[in-house]
Amino acid sequence: MNTPLEFKIQEKHKSLRNFRELPIFLYILCMLIVFSIIIPGFFSTRNFINISRQIAVVGILSMGMTLVILTGGIDLSVGSILSFAISIGGMGIPDGKSIWSVYPLVLGLGLLLGLVNGFLVTSISVPAIIVTLGTMNIYRGITMIVTKGKYITPIPSQFLYIGRGLTPFLFLVGTVILFIYITLFTRFGRNIYAIGGSEQSAIYSGVPVKKYKIAVYAISGILSAFAGLIFVGRSAFIQPQAGIGYEMNAIAAVVIGGTSISGGAGSILGSFLGSALMGLILAGLTMLSVDPYWQGLVTGVLIILAISMDSFQKLRSERRTL
Amino acid sequence: MKQRNEKLWSILILGLVNAGIIIVLSFLSPTFLTYENIVSVLKRMSELGMLAIAETIVFISGGFDLSVGTIMALSGLIAVQMYIFGLPFFLCILLALLGGMAAGLMNALLIVKLRLQPFIVTLATMSIFRSIVYGVLRGKTLTQFPESYLAYGDLTILGLPFLFIVLVIFAVLSTLLLERTYIGRHIHAVGGNEHAAYLSGILVDRIKYTVYILSGFISACAGLLFSMRIRAVIPDAGLNAPLEVVTAVVIGGTAITGGKGSIIGSLLGVLALFLLTNGFSLLNLNPFWQQVVLGLLLIYVVGREGITEALAGKKLKKRSHQAVRIDRAQ
Repeated sequence: MNTPLEFKIQEKHKSLRNFRELPIFLYILCMLIVFSIIIPGFFSTRNFINISRQIAVVGILSMGMTLVILTGGIDLSVGSILSFAISIGGMGIPDGKSIWSVYPLVLGLGLLLGLVNGFLVTSISVPAIIVTLGTMNIYRGITMIVTKGKYITPIPSQFLYIGRGLTPFLFLVGTVILFIYITLFTRFGRNIYAIGGSEQSAIYSGVPVKKYKIAVYAISGILSAFAGLIFVGRSAFIQPQAGIGYEMNAIAAVVIGGTSISGGAGSILGSFLGSALMGLILAGLTMLSVDPYWQGLVTGVLIILAISMDSFQKLRSERRTL
Repeated sequence: MKQRNEKLWSILILGLVNAGIIIVLSFLSPTFLTYENIVSVLKRMSELGMLAIAETIVFISGGFDLSVGTIMALSGLIAVQMYIFGLPFFLCILLALLGGMAAGLMNALLIVKLRLQPFIVTLATMSIFRSIVYGVLRGKTLTQFPESYLAYGDLTILGLPFLFIVLVIFAVLSTLLLERTYIGRHIHAVGGNEHAAYLSGILVDRIKYTVYILSGFISACAGLLFSMRIRAVIPDAGLNAPLEVVTAVVIGGTAITGGKGSIIGSLLGVLALFLLTNGFSLLNLNPFWQQVVLGLLLIYVVGREGITEALAGKKLKKRSHQAVRIDRAQ
């Protein structure tokens, strides 16, 4: 009865925290039911495997994006890293290089570009949005110059296994589990939340903020390259224009999943559910034969709805504490 | 006073850089300094110049607007689509401008009412507006403009293209607005320190509405100029604008953290970009080099203090604090 007010609020906040992903989970169920009723053939194994493959690329991108956004940054260059890594790393494919030499090269390129982002963000005090707006164009430009805009095709079948059947989705689930473990149960993960909560306090409490920030951009880079490999496996050709606009989808998945765009709060599981919800909606719209031109509208509206919800909650809790 | 001197210096340096590029290019190519080439550069820089004016005002207020290029595409589309529907043409122009202002209002509402971060809001609205343009045009190009309207694209007054004159008028008016009116002072104050501005009685929210609606209006005008110049409405109009405009504006000495900047600097920045583009095509370089160089330039210009410090390898402590400040301001 005599619980202090502060404690009550904290408790309430805690229970909200615990169910942070519940609303989005319900949205997914609603969407599943609605689409299954109105679209014949939506509720079928083949269609779900299809959707799961579509989710995989954006889902993996959104894992890295979540870490970056949790630290209070943003990475607009994921789509460009994806195409850079597969186009330039895959240049040996027509000469008969095997996956054992191509895959490490592709992932290495992703790591390198991510490190460049991280280095620029931390060491020359330029905001992440400006750095990655710049590198997004630099990487894309270099890709177009080096490849001269040419496609790489045909792709030998050893590169296609990664994109077949449920494999992409299994890779996604594996990545999700790995990063849930990292964010929740390791010091690395806790410090990432600390940096996003208040960078100043993190510095004062001895967190090597610079190293951590470089690390999250590097992880985002590797995951972009990895998503690129799955993309190649799915589409069976490599085009230098791959991944244009993917940063929007990844950011959308992350903020729909409840991660705060100003950093410090959010979860990997949320981003996974966010990308699943987006994948479902986009697939449903495609099956309703809505033009793909309108996909940007859907993504944009979803982003605004998601960040508005986050902001509403904040404004309301501010008012309540006042 | 000191800030004023600093501003004059940066404008002077940028002017000299432009002059330098012009001299080099005129040596490299005999066609560069011909009347036709100059007129075509002035025409082409007019719509990007308009967008740079819009972005400068937003930057000075401490905001960020990624959607200017898309609003430009949207306004041209509204004008031509309404004309195809059979409305009188002056009404179409009016609707196009209103459409731009409505888009700006939408940005402002989201930023002010829901306290969302400008960059993520305009990233989302950019995607929404672009998708509308794509969805309506479906890859087509619309050219059904009345001939009397398109004639403005070729009109020259006293040897200067009409499009460039419009740009100059907008530049003068917005410089007057920023430097000589209380609204301009308030915009500077909000960008300098929003909280202090609020405490000293400035209606911060109203200033933000003004800024984003003005940005939408100027971008819509840019869209009309663009359709006059290329005599059509294309789906990809202004696709590279976020990079180009932001780069031009920060080259021109406007701070991304708000509070200071100048229209004339931004226009010199735009001119420098166009001279570089012109130079690239004269040197027969792959056009994607431009994208690379712009990206490098953007990072260099914003981070030049940080770069010099990092190279010198000192003031480590001060730098980490500065980084925090900038990140927060973002």
